[in-house]
Amino acid sequence: MKYLQSALTILFPVAIVLVIGAAVLLAAGYNPLAVYADLMTEAFGGQRRLAASLSAATPLIFTGLAAAVAFRVGVFTVGAEGSLYVGALMAAWLGFTLTGLNGWLLAPLCLLAGAAAGLVWMLPPGLMKARLGIDEIVTTLMLNFIAIGLTTWLVNGPLLAPGAANSSTPQVADAARLTRLMPPSTLTTGFLIAVALLVAYAIWQRRRIGGYETLVGGLAPRFARASGIDMPGLMLRMLLVSGAIAGLGGAIQVLGPIGRFVAGFSTGYGFTGIAVAILARGNPLGILIGAVLFGGLSTAGATIQLFSDVPIEIVNILQGLIMIFAVADFGLRGWFARRTARQTAAEGSQP
Amino acid sequence: MITDILFSALVMTTPLILAALGGLIHRSSGIVNVGLDGMMLLGALVAIIIASGGNWAVALVGAGLAGGVTGWLMTLGITRLRANEIIVGLGLNIAIAGAIRFYLKAAYGSSGNLRLPDVSRLPKIDLPLPGALGAVFSGHSILTWIAWALVPLTAWVLSRTALGLRLRACGTSAASAAAIGLNPMRMREGAGFVAGLLSGLAGAYLSIGVVGLFNEGITGGRGFIALAAFYFGANRPWATAACALLFGIFDAVQIRLQGRGFPAELIQTLPYIMVCVVLLLLGLAARRRAQGKAAYHG
Amino acid sequence: MSEINGADAAGGPRLGGVGLSKSFGTLKANDHIDFAARRGTIHAIVGGNGAGKSTLMKILQGLQAPDAGTVLVNGAPVVFRSPNDAIRVGIGMVHQEFTLIPGLTLLENLILGDEPRRAFGAIDRPVAEARAAELAELAGVRIDWNLLEEEAPVHMRQAVEILRLIYRGADVLILDEPTAVLAPPQIRELLALMVNLRDKGNTILFISHKLDEVLAVADEVTVLRAGRVVVSRPAAGLDKAELARLMTGEPVTAPTAKPATPGAAVLELDGLGTGGEGAVALDDFSLVLREGEIVGIAGVAGNGQDEIVGLVSGLMPAVRGSLRLSGQDITRLSTHDRRALGLAYLSPDRKQEGLCLDASIADNLIASHQHKPRFGKAGFLSPAAIASYADERVATFDIKCASPHQPVGALSGGNQQKVAMARELYDSPRILLACQPTRGVDIKGIAAIHQEILAFRDAGGAVLLVSEELEELVQLSDRIVTIYGGRRTGEFPRGAAAMERIGRTMLGEVAA
Repeated sequence: MKYLQSALTILFPVAIVLVIGAAVLLAAGYNPLAVYADLMTEAFGGQRRLAASLSAATPLIFTGLAAAVAFRVGVFTVGAEGSLYVGALMAAWLGFTLTGLNGWLLAPLCLLAGAAAGLVWMLPPGLMKARLGIDEIVTTLMLNFIAIGLTTWLVNGPLLAPGAANSSTPQVADAARLTRLMPPSTLTTGFLIAVALLVAYAIWQRRRIGGYETLVGGLAPRFARASGIDMPGLMLRMLLVSGAIAGLGGAIQVLGPIGRFVAGFSTGYGFTGIAVAILARGNPLGILIGAVLFGGLSTAGATIQLFSDVPIEIVNILQGLIMIFAVADFGLRGWFARRTARQTAAEGSQP
Repeated sequence: MITDILFSALVMTTPLILAALGGLIHRSSGIVNVGLDGMMLLGALVAIIIASGGNWAVALVGAGLAGGVTGWLMTLGITRLRANEIIVGLGLNIAIAGAIRFYLKAAYGSSGNLRLPDVSRLPKIDLPLPGALGAVFSGHSILTWIAWALVPLTAWVLSRTALGLRLRACGTSAASAAAIGLNPMRMREGAGFVAGLLSGLAGAYLSIGVVGLFNEGITGGRGFIALAAFYFGANRPWATAACALLFGIFDAVQIRLQGRGFPAELIQTLPYIMVCVVLLLLGLAARRRAQGKAAYHG
Repeated sequence: MSEINGADAAGGPRLGGVGLSKSFGTLKANDHIDFAARRGTIHAIVGGNGAGKSTLMKILQGLQAPDAGTVLVNGAPVVFRSPNDAIRVGIGMVHQEFTLIPGLTLLENLILGDEPRRAFGAIDRPVAEARAAELAELAGVRIDWNLLEEEAPVHMRQAVEILRLIYRGADVLILDEPTAVLAPPQIRELLALMVNLRDKGNTILFISHKLDEVLAVADEVTVLRAGRVVVSRPAAGLDKAELARLMTGEPVTAPTAKPATPGAAVLELDGLGTGGEGAVALDDFSLVLREGEIVGIAGVAGNGQDEIVGLVSGLMPAVRGSLRLSGQDITRLSTHDRRALGLAYLSPDRKQEGLCLDASIADNLIASHQHKPRFGKAGFLSPAAIASYADERVATFDIKCASPHQPVGALSGGNQQKVAMARELYDSPRILLACQPTRGVDIKGIAAIHQEILAFRDAGGAVLLVSEELEELVQLSDRIVTIYGGRRTGEFPRGAAAMERIGRTMLGEVAA
């Protein structure tokens, strides 16, 4: 029953979105089934395509996980995008500055620094939430724009690559680059780090005290407080962890596929990550599947254009709609919730 | 020079006021609308398509309706399907941007830009003002003056009419409002339509008022700056308009000084920083109040 | 406006019910309730918590449908489907939680939903102000109508809550514990307002457990206990002692506990005080709790119990005074640290604070123990250890469930409470802070929970028992401390605790 319920809550919004997407395609004169089939083959048909999809999925695993760890304890951050940017820039800066270091040192250092930068970026909204109870949604949203503006300014001025016309830093040292797993695909060891992080999350969720405390804290904050859990502190910690994960994701993009920091390099990874986390309802396997699905869609959309005239943007439409419908309550959960409520009420507790 | 900057500041302020007032009304009804930017973008596109070989007034109606219906649908998701308002707003922006690029490619074969013939531009109003006054205030489009006229109108409706009273009541406490027979959901949906309508007009101003063409980056994130304006203006129409004007001046100054080593990108983040500062100050004030109360009673 | 303004005061039945019954599972919240409030009277409905008052009010207001029985309006049967149906026949209710809206002025709150208008939907302020002034005069109160809701003093807000009903056409006013948040002078003002409104022909249903107030203004009284009407009679000739006896009932079972053998002091509360709105905060409260004894706190709801619970559990900061646990000052310690020193806390709010209903029984059982070595090491939890612990607790406390992985929310009220007890009593705490331990629990469950509390005491544990069930307090407590208005008013050892005397000190009389 439980599995049926979670399957339904995930599949139902996806189904609705696919139907709307089909309507859009039909209206534009395309055969939706053919387009969907093409998208699937382009995303997952064959080793090379799969590698491209996994590469595209990598940043989404980080941002999805960043959202999930915070949502778990009831902190509704939308700030992964901002942490991703500052983490990426930090990694790039160290990567092209400390060129003397050896690869075994430089790459981990850049990754750690990226995570640290992402963490620090979430410190102001985290403290505002924990100390003053200021709503984290708006502050983290604003910090995204601030991060984008700040990093763009830095790479247009102080950190601009000499001679480069576009807004980007110099290339990071080769020693800092992550190893490609299946050249020429841009799939790097970053994907392995992402999967390792997911595994760690899965273990943490089920087996660590922190996983337990965030579970009950998210479900019943007053209960958690009464059992001695420091809720403001826990919320702050999880928001910082969220920032660190997103910052690491940014660093991995820089040391992996891009090789330097480019202003506006993220195509909304932070926001897609939110959709991934919500769709997966915090389940680690769900995050992996969701990220691969979204990643696959975006690479497939790009290649599908090469041989057909279907606009790649159908993928963006699907992405945005999934975000909307993933948070909608179609009464499925409501139905189960009502049933539990009825059972509880039937046991006769009066206010 | 200074008159030029002020003139273009008024130009930059117009879409901000329109969208910010829409967001303010929606917020008063209890919903933070993060989708203003998307509805603005939609309005810009619809306006230019209708205005091409057509009439600017019809284009405005079309843009307003397109935005309004979108805002209404978005709010339905929030009220009826209990979806999170922020996520829905962000998703809407992504979906609209995608849909517009899809449409441009499918219908015009163009990527991100749309240049159409015979665009009926918004008429400009020349005012017989002397010297500097004329240079600043003359030659603005009709929508600029409508936007400014909407400020006192919004203030009046919110504070002096039964509708405004009910809207504020539903926004502050939906349960209490429902208990005396009001319908907060419908109120919010109506406010969502207005928010979309005004954002659509803001978009139309950009496409058929300012530049005369459409591209996918035409809003330049102004929907989010509008969000900052009504947050910073604490939901008061005049304060919100003043913030919009301030942000408009930032914008004009930054365009003017671009390419002279001036940190334009940093200036652009100012509205967002200001929102965080306002939230921080409000939080600190709330804590001081709470402590004061405890001390008083203790 | 009331159609019968000033007309036949104390006339025929205006609002009443016959055979009203409502059950929640096995709990009969209302059991064949008959009563009739006559037009132009103040009719008090009194009873302790869980007596069925709130359910009855919800039925009379159209928020809940009765399982059986009929609501009578002007003597004729009616069916309410919503509060709107009730207001349409002139019945309005003021809830304990205020429903005025912040950010709006008192005037705006008054007219909201039925605004006098001019052209373009503009509010006709002069008309609104005139109506407001008229209402204030009718009630005999002074109201600054231009204050924002959040700026207005609490008694003014209370008055507006009531006047708003009259503005909207009600002449039957149901007031649910209207004095709970008021200070004594404000209470007198409110009672005067009620009398004024009655004299103008309105009918008032006054729900209260403050007997002084009831006797001061009520014309008729209906006493509820355990969902039944104990008596419904004119207030004239009733005295407080009689009313208290009717409300609390006599102990049906003699205390069965062995006498206590108190040991060393484990919990010392010294001059505790806290802030709060009105006169309900705690003031200068001291108490010593010893090993092997149960100390009961008796008081009518809202007289400082919540504050004692908050301060002892560490969920509320103390403004004045100090707490010591086994001699150690714990005034500034967190809930977590207090628990580590041996405090166990059985919350009065089982659904939100005592349990996490969506989590499994096992997850609820390890809460607050998750750091203990038994459940794992180095920050890891051992599922095997948790499972064996959960099985053991389920068996020991006889928790009826399919499996410890079931969500707690699926259990019955009694079994839910057993889960909470099983958790709190694990690992030999020194002190059990037990609040409303049997609220919403059926009779069999109650007996089991009482046994556990007594067994804990006999093993040397100290229990601070906060309950609104006087019977429960008398049965379990070795000493009973009474509080009123946030202050300690008396202390009674076991046996000497005549219900009636405790009742009087709960109502403000200081014991000699």
